[in-house]
Amino acid sequence: MADPKKPRAAFAPWDRRELPGVFDVEESARRVGTYKWIEMRLFEALGGWVATVPELDVKLRLGTHCYHHAWHAELWHKRLPELREMNPDRLTGPPNENMVAFVAALTEPEAPELTIEKLVGVYRVLIPHKIAAYTYHLNNTSTITDAPTIRSLKFVLQDEFDDWRDGEMMIQSLLENAEDVERAAAHQARLEQLLVAAGGIAGPGTIGDPWAKPLEPEAEVPA
Amino acid sequence: MPVRVTPETFSMVNYDSAVIAATVEKLIADVGLPTDTPVSLEVDERVPLGKAEIRSVDPIELFVEGGAIEDAKRPREFSSEAALDVVGRLLMEVRDRLDPAFGAPPLDEEITVPVRTAWEIYAVGRLSRRGHRGQRQRRLYAFRTRHGFTDVADAAFESLWSGDGLCFADVVRISESTRQMLR
Amino acid sequence: MKHALPVEELARDERFVRVELFTRAIDPRTVPDDRQRAGPRIKITPDRPDAPDAARVLMHGIFMGELQALEGAGRTCWDFETGSGPQEAPFELKLNMARQCWDEARHCEISVKLGEWMGTEIGEFAEATFLYEAACNPDPVLRLTGVNRALEGLAIDVFNTMREFARAAGDPVLEFCEDWMLADEVTHVKMGSDWLRKLTEDDPERRQRALEFQRVVDKLFSLGGFRGEDDDSPIRLARRFRELAGFADEEIDEIAGLSREARDEFLQHRAALAEDARERTGTDG
Repeated sequence: MADPKKPRAAFAPWDRRELPGVFDVEESARRVGTYKWIEMRLFEALGGWVATVPELDVKLRLGTHCYHHAWHAELWHKRLPELREMNPDRLTGPPNENMVAFVAALTEPEAPELTIEKLVGVYRVLIPHKIAAYTYHLNNTSTITDAPTIRSLKFVLQDEFDDWRDGEMMIQSLLENAEDVERAAAHQARLEQLLVAAGGIAGPGTIGDPWAKPLEPEAEVPA
Repeated sequence: MPVRVTPETFSMVNYDSAVIAATVEKLIADVGLPTDTPVSLEVDERVPLGKAEIRSVDPIELFVEGGAIEDAKRPREFSSEAALDVVGRLLMEVRDRLDPAFGAPPLDEEITVPVRTAWEIYAVGRLSRRGHRGQRQRRLYAFRTRHGFTDVADAAFESLWSGDGLCFADVVRISESTRQMLR
Repeated sequence: MKHALPVEELARDERFVRVELFTRAIDPRTVPDDRQRAGPRIKITPDRPDAPDAARVLMHGIFMGELQALEGAGRTCWDFETGSGPQEAPFELKLNMARQCWDEARHCEISVKLGEWMGTEIGEFAEATFLYEAACNPDPVLRLTGVNRALEGLAIDVFNTMREFARAAGDPVLEFCEDWMLADEVTHVKMGSDWLRKLTEDDPERRQRALEFQRVVDKLFSLGGFRGEDDDSPIRLARRFRELAGFADEEIDEIAGLSREARDEFLQHRAALAEDARERTGTDG
C-alpha cells in the first residue's frame, strides 16, 4: 500500500478540470432562469396535451416526459438561490418577447388531429435547441466553480437525449405519406424561424455568439 | 324454424329475436348438431348480468340473462360476438351431453367450479378451431385462477384447449390432478 | 391550446366507446336483490363462478381510471397560471402534478400489461368518464380534493381489493403489480391532503367548499354503495391505507356513511325503475 503520509496533488494526474469559465455568476444565473422558464412552459404544455392526443402510446409518453421537464425546472429553481438570486421568480422568465411568441406558437395546436404538429414543435424544434443550449453551457462553464450546474446539466441532458429519441421515433411512426412529411416540415420551419428570432432558448448568444442580434420573424418582414 | 327465442319482442333492450335466432342456427351447425335440431332460447331481458345455463338437453332449452349477449361497450345493444361465445359454449356442452361416449353427469348434478371451468375450456377450444373467437388468453386466465399459475396448470390447459375426443372423466381427471399440485 | 378541456373533448382512438352516467341511470333493467347488495357473492373471490371475468372488467375500469387520472393531472399543470392566487396553482403543486402524470402513465402501462395477462383487449368494455369530470373543477384546491383525495382514495380501495383477489387466486403477476400501484396511490392521496391543508390554511370557507366537493365525489364514487367497510364489500375501504394517506378517523367514518347512503338511494332508484318497467311490460317479476 502507498505511504499515507506521502503528499499528493489536489488534482490527480487524470483530473484536467480548470478554473476559467465563460460565465460569471450573474450570467450563469440569467441563463438558468431562462432554462427554468422554458422547462416550465414545456412540462405544462405536455401535461395539457395528454388529454388532447388520441394515440395511446403518445399519450403515455407525453405523461412521462411531462415529469422529466418538471424535474428539470425544479433543478434550475433550486440552483438559482445558489447563484445569488434569492428570489428565483425574478430571473424566471423568457429571454425576450420573441421567445414568448415561440412558446405561444408551440402550444397552439390543440385538436386531436394535430399530434404531428405537437410532437414536431417539441421534439424537432425545442428539444434540439435545449440540447444545444445545455451542451454549450456544459462545455463552457468553469468545471471547478460551477460544478453544481454541470452536474444538473448532465442529468438534464441525459433526459433530453432520451426524450428526443422517443419523440423522434413517435413522429416517424406517425408520418405515413408525403402530405404528412410536408405538414411536419412546414410546422418545423415556422417554429424554427421563431426560435431563431429569439436567439435560442436563452436569447442571443445561447450557443456562443455574444454579438448575435435577434432576427425578425419572417412573417414580420415587409414584403 | 328449429330455433325459438323468447320473448319474441324485447322492450328493455334493443334485441331482435330473429337476429338472435339466426345466430343460434349458425351455431347449431358449427358445433356439429343436426341442422334441424330444435333449440329454444329464453332471454331474461330484465337482468343485465351474464348468467347462462342449459335448462334441458332433450328438448334443448337454453337460458341466458340479457347481459350475457349484450354489447360490453353499448348498454342494451345486442352483441352477436357475445352470443356466439356464450350460446356456442352452451351448445357445445349440449353436444357433449347428448353423446353417450362422453359420459356427462345428469344435468341436475352439481359440478364444481374448477371442473366446470375445465369443461368450458374444452368446449371453447373446439369452437375456436371451427373459426369462432376463442379468446385463448382470457380462457387461460380463467383456468389458472382455478388451477394455479404454474407450468403444470398451463400444460393441463393446453391438453383441454387443443383436446378432442375427451370424455367427462378425462376433464375431471385433468382438473383434479392439476389442483392436487396446489396442495 | 385552451384552458379547461371539457370531458367531451378527451381524445381517444376508435377502440374506446364512452357511456355517459345518464345512459346508465335511465337503464330500466334491474339486478336481482340477492345479487346487487354487498354480499358474499359480490366480492371477487376465485370460487365465484364469474370471478375471472369480473376481475377483467374491474381491471379494465382501473385502466380507464388511470388514463383519466393522467389526463386530469396533466390538465392541472396546464390549466392554471403559476401563483398563489385562488385561481392559480403554486409552482410546487404543479411539480407534484407532473410527477403524478408520470405515475399515472406508468399505471396505464402496468394496466395494459395486466389486461393482456388476463386476456382483455384495450377498449373491450365501455368507458365511464366521471373520473375526469371530477378533475375539471376551476378551483385547484377543489380539483385536488376531488381527484387526489376522493378519486385516488377509491383507487386505493380498488387496488387493495384486486391485490386480495390476486393473493387468493395465487396470481403472482397481479399481486405484484397491485402492490406497486398501491404504494403510488398512497403518495397521491397524501399529496392531496397536504395541499388541501396548505392552500386553505387561512381560508376556512374555501376548505369547507373543497371538503364538500370531496363529499359529493366520494358519494358518486361509492358505486351505488358497493364500496363499504363490510368484509364482503367488493371494494373495501382500506382504512389503514387511508390513514397513511392523511385521512382522519372521522373522515374515513364519513366516507363509509356516504357509501351506505348512496347504496340506499341507488336501491330506491332501481326499485322505482323496475316498477316502471313492470307497468310498461305487464310482467310481474
